[in-house]
Amino acid sequence: MAVSLSKGANVNLSKEAPGLQAVRVGLGWDQRVTDGSDFDLDASVYLLNEGGKVRSDADFVYFNNLKAADGAVEHHGDNLTGVGEGDDEVVSVQLGKLPADVAKVVFAVTIYEADQRRQNFGMVANAFIRVVNADGGTELARYDLSEDASTETAMVFGELYRHSGEWKFRAVGQGFSGGLGPLARSYGVNV
Amino acid sequence: MSISLAKGANVSLSKEEPGLANILIGLGWDARATDGEDFDLDASAFLLAETGKVRGDHDFIFYNQLKSSDGSVEHTGDNRTGAGDGDDEVIKVDLGRVPADIHKVAVVVTIHEGESRRQNFGMVQNAFMRIVNEATGREISRYDLSEDYSVETALIFGEVYRHGGEWKFRAVGQGYQGGLAPVARNFGVNVG
Repeated sequence: MAVSLSKGANVNLSKEAPGLQAVRVGLGWDQRVTDGSDFDLDASVYLLNEGGKVRSDADFVYFNNLKAADGAVEHHGDNLTGVGEGDDEVVSVQLGKLPADVAKVVFAVTIYEADQRRQNFGMVANAFIRVVNADGGTELARYDLSEDASTETAMVFGELYRHSGEWKFRAVGQGFSGGLGPLARSYGVNV
Repeated sequence: MSISLAKGANVSLSKEEPGLANILIGLGWDARATDGEDFDLDASAFLLAETGKVRGDHDFIFYNQLKSSDGSVEHTGDNRTGAGDGDDEVIKVDLGRVPADIHKVAVVVTIHEGESRRQNFGMVQNAFMRIVNEATGREISRYDLSEDYSVETALIFGEVYRHGGEWKFRAVGQGYQGGLAPVARNFGVNVG
């Protein structure tokens, strides 16, 4: 069973998924039915070294840079409105293909132009982010953004990290103010 | 102390007020001080199933249908000018009597004849929605609408909803420019 995270929860999921090989991160939300700007949520991924920084800007995967590390990380495309059922954006990560100097993979979600559009996760219906074991499709963790991150506009969802030759997933679930640009800069990306 | 919500935020009424049984949803706004037509705001409630739609037109509670068929939701009457301090319109909800297949009570405020009077929520001063424990009179939470850019004439002000065995309140503050009809249609009510 997936661990449903509450605010600030920090859960180690190694027991749920021993020998994790590949994961998919899914981001989903409902299309806006009221008047006003669309809700455009964006998934992003950061490949970090031991120092917690990207090795280069190419390690920042988002809607304008869909692949990294020779395809080990692949963003399957930007969804601008939330149209469609289930996961509206998906990023897949093949852990075995990641270079040895990538120590950690961080997953985040941001609202595009949240400040200008005066939006937060609580205004978006049924917004969630989840991580699924690509082998078998078991959901490892899920965060209900609409309910538990309602006043946030960006959130670091979780991170995969190396531990004793294995990859483990740690849920972070912490808000971040400032949006995608400042978040990327905090990991050493030049944006 | 009452919890003031920002737009989009939510609070657990059950946690804040253990044993909560009956709530008053109070809506208020200031009477128009400037010249022109009065602001006549109308509150209505939609009893919504898990799908986000009404089960039938009887789940739409407004000035022409003041009480739900099961008696759980009751509109206490229309105020046409906003005159008077405090709540201008009140909707009572008996939480225990809300049918199990009703997931959410959405509270909508519309400006009566907003289009023809050329009025919108950006012009209305000090509009608020608050949740009061009917038994004690204590205000549990409130949402002050503070948006002077708003062009809507119909606003989903907030919603009282079930979540994990609790009742919660969310400040929604989203709406439509076309008045009550598009809101009602969105919730599955048959309107002409």
